[in-house]
Amino acid sequence: MTELRFHRDLYDGQAVDEAIKTFDRYATIERAEEDTHWVVRLSADAPSRERRVAGELANFALGLTIRRSKSAT
Amino acid sequence: MSSSLEGFPEGQVQFDLERGAASVRVDSSVYPLEALYGAAYVFIDRAYVLLDRAEGDAYRVWISPKKPAAEDALRALLGEFANELLSCAWRAQIAKDSRSIIEQATTRALGGARGAPSLDDLESFDFSDESFEDPLGIAMSWEEKYGKKKGAEGSEAKAAPAGAEAAAAEGEPTP
Amino acid sequence: MNLLQIKKPSTTFAMPFRHRVVAGKHLLTNTEGAFVLLDDAEFRLFAEGTVERGSTLWTRLVERNFVRAEVDLRAIEERIRTRKRFLDYGPNLHIAVVTLRCNETCVYCHASRANMDATYTDMTKETAEKTVDLILKSTNPSVTIEFQGGEPLANFPIVQHITEYALKQNEKIGKTLEFTMVSNLSLMTDEKLAWLVANKVQICTSIDGPQHLHDKQRKLPTKAAALPLALTGEGASPSAHLAARHWIGRINDEYGKMGLDTSLYHVEALLTTTRDTLPLWKDVVDTYVSLGCKALFLRPVDPFGFADRSGGRVEYPRKEYLEFYRSAVDYMLELNRQGVQILERFAAIFLTKILGGEDPNFLDIRNPCGAAIGQVAYNYDGKIFTCDEGRMLHEMGDDTFLIGEVGKTAYRDLMGHETVRALALASNLDAQPDCVNCTYQPYCGVCPVHNHKSQGSIFGRMRESTLCAVHKGIQDYLFEKIASGDPHVLETFKRWTTVRDRTHFLQTCAL
Repeated sequence: MTELRFHRDLYDGQAVDEAIKTFDRYATIERAEEDTHWVVRLSADAPSRERRVAGELANFALGLTIRRSKSAT
Repeated sequence: MSSSLEGFPEGQVQFDLERGAASVRVDSSVYPLEALYGAAYVFIDRAYVLLDRAEGDAYRVWISPKKPAAEDALRALLGEFANELLSCAWRAQIAKDSRSIIEQATTRALGGARGAPSLDDLESFDFSDESFEDPLGIAMSWEEKYGKKKGAEGSEAKAAPAGAEAAAAEGEPTP
Repeated sequence: MNLLQIKKPSTTFAMPFRHRVVAGKHLLTNTEGAFVLLDDAEFRLFAEGTVERGSTLWTRLVERNFVRAEVDLRAIEERIRTRKRFLDYGPNLHIAVVTLRCNETCVYCHASRANMDATYTDMTKETAEKTVDLILKSTNPSVTIEFQGGEPLANFPIVQHITEYALKQNEKIGKTLEFTMVSNLSLMTDEKLAWLVANKVQICTSIDGPQHLHDKQRKLPTKAAALPLALTGEGASPSAHLAARHWIGRINDEYGKMGLDTSLYHVEALLTTTRDTLPLWKDVVDTYVSLGCKALFLRPVDPFGFADRSGGRVEYPRKEYLEFYRSAVDYMLELNRQGVQILERFAAIFLTKILGGEDPNFLDIRNPCGAAIGQVAYNYDGKIFTCDEGRMLHEMGDDTFLIGEVGKTAYRDLMGHETVRALALASNLDAQPDCVNCTYQPYCGVCPVHNHKSQGSIFGRMRESTLCAVHKGIQDYLFEKIASGDPHVLETFKRWTTVRDRTHFLQTCAL
């Protein structure tokens, strides 16, 4: 299982949600909320696949967050 | 987990060769968040990037090459990230300092190239659209909008399956 | 000189300036693009603000607007306006890729050519007309249509159609039109040449240097039918070099027969510098001189097309390129001293800005760059790109610089495209770290497409950019030569900045 922790100061919550929605076909994904972070736990059949899905999900959430932060300014 | 990497101050980096990942602590009083975002974005075609808060007034950036990399390559990637971060921070400052000069040149260039609208242009003009008033903001959103090395029509919706397809290529059929 | 030796720098004497030590002298440039070269003592007086009023140094500094108390703001404004004149008009250069097919195989092909049977990469008549219709909407009163490929002669009927259709349509519009074709020439025939000459289409080709190098890098697998065997060489592998050489001679003869001044009207050739070129700088220059060329553009290889794939074989450290450049241009200056007229194109571009106070509007070295607002590239299928380099990336699977399609995208929408805005900003040297403080800023330019390809962002990082290394290295060389004060060199440099218009090729029609 891989745990991704998205800090609320740095990531847009909706961006994380959209990233989960986009990648949940490729892995089993659970989400949890903490005071400071959105936490995404992810597991897939093969370790290499799990690493790849986790990484792409993180990049996707980052990309959307940046886009939203710019369009808000 | 190691905490030293040649060329970086002691304790500034964390380095996990087994996971093929490295992280660097970024002082937020030196590097504004927009510079951090800008630098991180440049790397998402070749690495996985995760941002976090670090102790004190700082960020921590985790970066892991998409293709497995040896220690030298990981160090080079982190070094390149640090350079890009510095470049983005300085560019953000320059953009603030020279905003009027930059906007003036851009407006003159684009205005000269577009010319005055014809009657046909006016007829089809969408008056609800925002006018050209924030070129710097527009420039930054361009790369975000289209994604790196994707088609000009490759909006975020197109970028999503790219990553997803990559993941699917690990051996399972695409749903 | 250690700058710490300047005890009391004056904060009020000088206008804003940028500083670089070149050939042991202090090179200063200012916003308007004027420069002075000072020795240590002069620089100290300048920095401390103690230059004697009325002295020679004082006059030099005042004339070039480096002294705050004497500054001529109106002159600065006028000079900047002159340098940036190109900003007032839209794209002049329109690159029409009439086919991707090419009969030559080049080790570095930036255009990602297609095989000769790939006729699906031929531009159609309909696309050609839509392309011309769009080109003529440019706000620029002068328009150059450049035929490229692939090999444009492989789809010659479309070259003819675009030319004729553009001339016809322009009767209602009244722009000044120019047509150029970049060709390897090996598919040229007497009939095609007669048509090109009659229709005033300028012809430019590629020469990689001496025959053995050219033929090694540019393979001509099928025999050029129209050429005598003696000209293409024996055996299974005909000579691309001999084919080009033959037609260069023929074309130049035609110009001569027409009574044109062949020192002005002749085939120009382009060089792509590969690793194998570097030791052959003298042979390269001699080859160009022997072909009757008056200009040689020592272009480094770019990371586009096949060059990206074969990078290991053709690439080289830019330090080695700059040594090659210096050797070649030193030799060209020596030839000029002997009365041979040959200029280096990079040098001419920079010197026009440095010595002439004008911008020659070379689209890859201007600020901001010419992406879309100075040039537009139209692919065979009607797709429109900000520039030729952007189109090259498309052939490598990267559509970042695609901005529209002929027949579907309106001209003003192209120019207002957010990609175009982004490139105008990314290539603005006032917004670029390093460039903003660089002594060569008034004369330089960056290429966001190159940055994107080589560094992952349209902004790039200039300290690590091979393009920046080349631009800086060449300007260092030029200022070293200027600082040397050799009257012959200065006279030659001045001559290199003189642009003689090839008016024969300008086609205007009165409305």
